[in-house]
Amino acid sequence: MSKDVGMPTPYERPDRATTAPAGDQRAARTLHRPVEGRIIGGVCAGLALHLGLNVRLVRLVFVLLALPGAGLVAYLFLWALTPQSVQGVIEGSSGRVPVDPARPEGPGRSVTDAAAAVGGASDDQQRSATRVLLLGGVLLLAGLVVVAQNAGLNLRLGFLIPLLVVAVGAVIAWSQLDDAQRGRWLGGSSGTGRFSAARLAFGSLLALTGLVILTTRGRSLAAIWDIGLASLAVLAGVVLIAAPWGLRLWSELRHEQAERARATERADIAAHLHDSVLQTLALIQRRADDPSAVAQLARAQERELRSWLYAGPAGSDATLAAAVAEVAHEVEDLHGIPIDLVVTGDQPLDSGGQALVRAVRESLLNAVRHGQPPVSVYLEIGPDGVEAFVRDHGPGFEVEEVPTDRLGVRQSILGRMERHGGAARVRRLEQVTEVSLSLPAPRAPSPTTEPQPPAEASHATP
Amino acid sequence: MQPREPRVDVVLVDDHRMFRSGVRAEIGDAVNIVGEAPTVDAAVEVIAETRPAVVLLDVHLPGGSGNGGVDVIHGCRGLETASGQPVRFLALSVSDAAEDVIAVIRAGARGYVTKTISANDLTSAIRRVADGDAVFSPRLAGFVLDAFGAAAGEIAEVDEELDRLSAREREVMRLIARGYQYKEVAKELFISVKTVETHVSSVLRKLQLSSRHELTAWAMGRRLL
Repeated sequence: MSKDVGMPTPYERPDRATTAPAGDQRAARTLHRPVEGRIIGGVCAGLALHLGLNVRLVRLVFVLLALPGAGLVAYLFLWALTPQSVQGVIEGSSGRVPVDPARPEGPGRSVTDAAAAVGGASDDQQRSATRVLLLGGVLLLAGLVVVAQNAGLNLRLGFLIPLLVVAVGAVIAWSQLDDAQRGRWLGGSSGTGRFSAARLAFGSLLALTGLVILTTRGRSLAAIWDIGLASLAVLAGVVLIAAPWGLRLWSELRHEQAERARATERADIAAHLHDSVLQTLALIQRRADDPSAVAQLARAQERELRSWLYAGPAGSDATLAAAVAEVAHEVEDLHGIPIDLVVTGDQPLDSGGQALVRAVRESLLNAVRHGQPPVSVYLEIGPDGVEAFVRDHGPGFEVEEVPTDRLGVRQSILGRMERHGGAARVRRLEQVTEVSLSLPAPRAPSPTTEPQPPAEASHATP
Repeated sequence: MQPREPRVDVVLVDDHRMFRSGVRAEIGDAVNIVGEAPTVDAAVEVIAETRPAVVLLDVHLPGGSGNGGVDVIHGCRGLETASGQPVRFLALSVSDAAEDVIAVIRAGARGYVTKTISANDLTSAIRRVADGDAVFSPRLAGFVLDAFGAAAGEIAEVDEELDRLSAREREVMRLIARGYQYKEVAKELFISVKTVETHVSSVLRKLQLSSRHELTAWAMGRRLL
């Protein structure tokens, strides 16, 4: 999926001091699990945010409820059903979730690392302290269980331990889900993918082992083998039946994603058309009584739209062809007379090229002021040099007849070209005036700076 | 405009009704507009029915297999007018995208002009195409010079070479790119207008037959002004 080029969504990090309230403002209605300040899945933090309660209180309630098992189930359900959020922005709520390149953490880092990077240092310390406490509590519980067992109480350890293994494995595997989600969302890099996969595999293996132990307690090896085979058969059957559904869902998901990308693109185009074409059309309607203004507006808009549609590579402004095009458009806008521009070849803009561009501009100004439309420019950029022809359909002028002020203008054309080793000449045909400018290739200064008569067959000799 | 010649039968193919009526108003007196069509399929039908001398063809059209004007030319292959001449196509477009222009020319159009062309020029272009000649706008001439590497100095040793322009063809193309009319080109090169037309037709033939890879690669890769 493409990134949202041209449609920036403002994305500001809320102040650290106001993280919780800021999150509140934006996503108070829907329950979500903030990445910031979470310990396991962020369920308690999210719930506290949602209900406006103290996080510690919620956590305490959950821990107490977890002892008989109900809290654990509730936690898992909430974890599975509520969306994750980073800094108050919920994943999946809109197709366009901004990517902040300044975010330091990679997608595959461990939960602690990610949380530490987001939260402040004190936050982090507090959280790791809580973790130590949690771990301690679990160990204490384990110790108590062992003591109770030794004291003669039957706690059915053979049942409890595999269950615990399953739970730990599931948590490891599932927490991967969150990170994978976030990784995709952050435009993830593949460098840590292997680590994530290993974690997922380890978690699944752990859970599976626990399940196997649980179901095969006290049976012989042969019985286990039979059970294993039967389970495999069932599993294969389930996969066989579920596969088409899975595939269908997957393809639908892809389709939807493509659709969303298209919609974004369409919105982009609509925005551009609105800003350019529609505005110009409105302007044209308002100035309908002024044909020349309308023509000029239409021409400028056409050019703008064309350059948008057939945009060249970025940074092409530094080429000679682009510079001449710019000059032609400028003169066109200034005088409202259309200029037809044809260019072949291109090369980077050097000092000689700049002189040529200025001379072209001067010639064009001359043509639109004193000549008659249509005015056309032909620019040929080849290995042997550059040639430019500016042509109009005016009565033309003889060099001798030209008044001194216009001679000055032409002098600036001629003089400029000659200073750069090129040449300029004015030709007068019937009803046509043509200024031809030529510039030899810079690295091989041609022996003749004399301009070739522009249309002689002598060009034919290679 | 030129009353001594019989009026040419023309079919207008363009998906914009406003543009069609505009062209009709501008050149309706000079040529004989026998039909109009807004889509590829309608165009093929109308052209097969009326068999005009010239079809004014928009490059971008709805319908067909999605290739616009190219589809129309393919769909009308082999059609002849009542007098036994092939039906000829003149491409007319607002698009300056090289790939569009080259595609429609290579499909068989006898020329390419932009929609900003004046009514007089359009009429004479139609007449020229009806006579079997080629019509190149300055921009198309620029494309051709670029695509054949002629601007970079590549010149054919013999005229028959398909992948390069001959020296004379290059000269003609350069003058057309500079905005010269055929008769101005003729005067400039001290040749007859007929010879200019021969050169232009030969360039058109090369454009249609050449397998020069730059022709397509260049047109696809290069985004022109």
